[in-house]
Amino acid sequence: MEYIGEALLPGELGRIAVTASFTFALLSSIAFFVMTLKKDQNPASLKAWDKLGTWTFTGHMVSVLAIIAILFYLIFNHRFEYDYVWKHSSLDLPLRYIFSCFWEGQEGSFLLWMFWNAVLGMILLFTAGKWKAPAMLTFGLVQAFLASMILGVYVFDLKVGSSPFVLIRELPENIGAAWTFWPDYLTRLPAFADGNGLNPLLQNYWMTIHPPTLFLGFASTLVPFAFAIGGLVNKDFKGWVAPALPWTFFSVMILGTGILMGGAWAYEALSFGGFWAWDPVENSSLVPWLTLVGGAHLMLIQKNRGGTLHSSFFFIILTFLLVLYSTFLTRSGVLGDSSVHSFVDLGLNQQLRFYLLFFVFGAFGLLLWRYRSIPKKNHEDSLSSREFWMFVGALVLLVSSFQIIFSTSMPVLNLLVGPEGYLPLLENKLAAPDDPIDHYNGFQIPFAIIIAFLMAFTQFLVYRGNSMSKHKNDIFITIGISLVAAILISLNSSFPHVYFLLLFASIYLILGNLVYWIRVAKGNLNIAGSSVAHVGFGMILLGSLISNYKKQVISKNDTYIAKDFPQNENLLIEEGDTVQMGNYHVVWTGERKEGNHRIYDMDYLRKTEAGFQLDFTLSPSILATDNAGNNPEPSTRHYLHKDVYTHLTYADLRTEEEKAQGFTNEATVEVGQGDTIIYDKQFVIMDSILVEGDLTKQPHEMDYIVLGAKINVVRMDGTRYTAMPKYVIQNNTLNQIDDEIEELGLKFHFDSINQETGKFAFKISKREADEPPFVVIKAIIFPWINVLWMGSIVMIIGTVLAIFQRIRANNRTPSTTTKE
Amino acid sequence: MKKTHIAFIVLIAVAIGAIIATFTNAGTYATFPAAETQPGKTFTVIGQLNLEAEMDFNARQNLFRFVAQDKDGNERTVYYNQPKPQDFERAEEITMKGFATDTAFIASEILMKCPSKYNDQNQVADVTE
Repeated sequence: MEYIGEALLPGELGRIAVTASFTFALLSSIAFFVMTLKKDQNPASLKAWDKLGTWTFTGHMVSVLAIIAILFYLIFNHRFEYDYVWKHSSLDLPLRYIFSCFWEGQEGSFLLWMFWNAVLGMILLFTAGKWKAPAMLTFGLVQAFLASMILGVYVFDLKVGSSPFVLIRELPENIGAAWTFWPDYLTRLPAFADGNGLNPLLQNYWMTIHPPTLFLGFASTLVPFAFAIGGLVNKDFKGWVAPALPWTFFSVMILGTGILMGGAWAYEALSFGGFWAWDPVENSSLVPWLTLVGGAHLMLIQKNRGGTLHSSFFFIILTFLLVLYSTFLTRSGVLGDSSVHSFVDLGLNQQLRFYLLFFVFGAFGLLLWRYRSIPKKNHEDSLSSREFWMFVGALVLLVSSFQIIFSTSMPVLNLLVGPEGYLPLLENKLAAPDDPIDHYNGFQIPFAIIIAFLMAFTQFLVYRGNSMSKHKNDIFITIGISLVAAILISLNSSFPHVYFLLLFASIYLILGNLVYWIRVAKGNLNIAGSSVAHVGFGMILLGSLISNYKKQVISKNDTYIAKDFPQNENLLIEEGDTVQMGNYHVVWTGERKEGNHRIYDMDYLRKTEAGFQLDFTLSPSILATDNAGNNPEPSTRHYLHKDVYTHLTYADLRTEEEKAQGFTNEATVEVGQGDTIIYDKQFVIMDSILVEGDLTKQPHEMDYIVLGAKINVVRMDGTRYTAMPKYVIQNNTLNQIDDEIEELGLKFHFDSINQETGKFAFKISKREADEPPFVVIKAIIFPWINVLWMGSIVMIIGTVLAIFQRIRANNRTPSTTTKE
Repeated sequence: MKKTHIAFIVLIAVAIGAIIATFTNAGTYATFPAAETQPGKTFTVIGQLNLEAEMDFNARQNLFRFVAQDKDGNERTVYYNQPKPQDFERAEEITMKGFATDTAFIASEILMKCPSKYNDQNQVADVTE
């Protein structure tokens, strides 16, 4: 049968491109693997393998670009017969969000990941020199696995991948449906006229740059991993460190940027009031970054002093495996309802698990196999050497990431050892901690304090030597100044216990690195990388501490409900009324609409001698969509030293007509004769049913029947009222006559008769009190949050400097002459 | 003993501490009657909203009241002193973290599982009927 209006060619081409990308990737992996193993054989045969590997990987890159181009073509042309296009885009979507549609679904985000891996692989093809083959064998393998995730074929009833080029009529659940036999189904079914659209949470500018950056970060962890695996395969255990080092710092920079952008998105667009909430998805991208930073520093030790090969291998391999594990967590549906941004299970669970286990056993197996051949450290680190404290720092990062990932893996623990798991050790399923923030902070704040101290004073130590005395004064003076600064700040606003230590540590971290750069490095920009990055990290710690610990909820509601109720942090504000919040007086001036946004303008006034003066206006809004519900979007006023953040926690979204009906709290009840229910503090008793009509006739001849339900309402004080809603059938048409008890404002609607149970269904609703419109808002002041954002930028700049520093170092000394 | 060995021992000790903390800090899933055996202790109850019962949001008190059914079908009134979540009626499943009292369950945090935003294929299938 020919379907009218379908564009089948792009889909066919897309599938061919996916298959090609898979095959090419696999071939290039094999070619480079053979080349690595035969590295000592004659150059002519090596060259042939080299050529094969290079061309197949280039072919892979071209296929990936083709897949992306075709998918964009389909989205741009609104080919809603394609499932992916229908699910993730719509006609009214602004052009700038088209890119977001592309990676909203799992298939597209796999594609994005594949794209970055392919780009990085192409760069390595031309720059990796003698490390080309050993590194590229891993690239091809990883790419083949990723391509298999979007193959969308069935092998012996096992689904391998999920293709972005599936037509809706080809989906398993639609096979055999009546409409799939209509040639003109595309025009006949209104559902195909427009797509489902993009999740409103993703309709934010951060969401057009955060996912590509984060995925480049994930992809970039593959480079040091590929070098490490290459080193293990070709037994050049030391040689990989130098060429991989700039890439490791590149990865630190990009992945870090991606994570921070995620925080910025959460702060700007999500309404949980903060930039970090220890959400499982946030955690699972932070953890590989921590181990990556640890690995980068171990590689630095190895390059400058030697002796950390085993741990460098371990950290770099672990980082990549944690990226895979985080993919597994977010995409297999394991996290389910415990996170805002987990994907739905596409039935690829098995495949993801296989992918993860393959690399875990493959990489760690290889490391164990080669473990004894890897050169050991033949010296003992001095307590005042830089390498010893850097090594300790890496261990702290390791245990910090372990704590985060272990707690985040609760759903996985439930799967493994929960009462219904493989090995039922636990009696009860584990639920998220009662206070997750406290749970994580309890460990992570002490870790941060230790790390900050290490980062500050280790800079002053030198490799292998004991030169503590040389900079003793600098160390003690910076500690002294930082302590005084911390005490002064906490006198002004208290920071008890660990918070004081963190305050002190982060100030010391910033100051110590500045002093080091000026006094020891003599302000030389060429070697400023580590100092600048460390200052940035210190600012991130300081900014997070102050903005979080000193955040001030100004929308407090003092209504006392019960002693067990926490003080409420939401405030009701009526239209036109003024409420006081902190130092501000806030007026809600009204509601307006812009597209699908309902915007609520709040004027923030300040009391001056001349009366109230407008300080600024915030416009929190709600994005209302038909298919994805209503999403509040916060609005924030940025100052240098603080942010005033406001978001709507409740707004009446009913239309004008719905409001005019004026009844609320509708409840549907099904009762039999004599039953009593409680509604709005009143007893509602179904007393009896009165029947009116010509009962002498047979039921089917009856042209007129009225059922009246006598309903008694008894108030708590004993007063009684009666209502009689009616159910009328006349000439085969149904008519319900509602009845209202004016004094109580209760309305009764005789809804239906349940033939099976013999019970009657009523809808009860209550008249709405005549109230002015209101909204409920939550407003928070985040002091000095800009220190956090500025710190992020400083850290990124510092890491970029470090990358160039490493590249220059490699150019100066050939990568083979690594020190022991 | 080498200095790095001491570092490793400390590392392992802290890691064990982290494992223990994860298990002790973990919340507990429960039904309403199970939560009532220890009033005041925090539990996580997964259940459904009873749409037939009355639902009331008192904006002035910032108190939201509804009736929920746990997985065994036990019904309780639940109080939540936060604004009524958007689209609450659409929730397929609600996760309530809170504690039991003599008369009601007091929730401090509510998570909703809404019908999948991504996987609404039924919308296409529905039009055929």
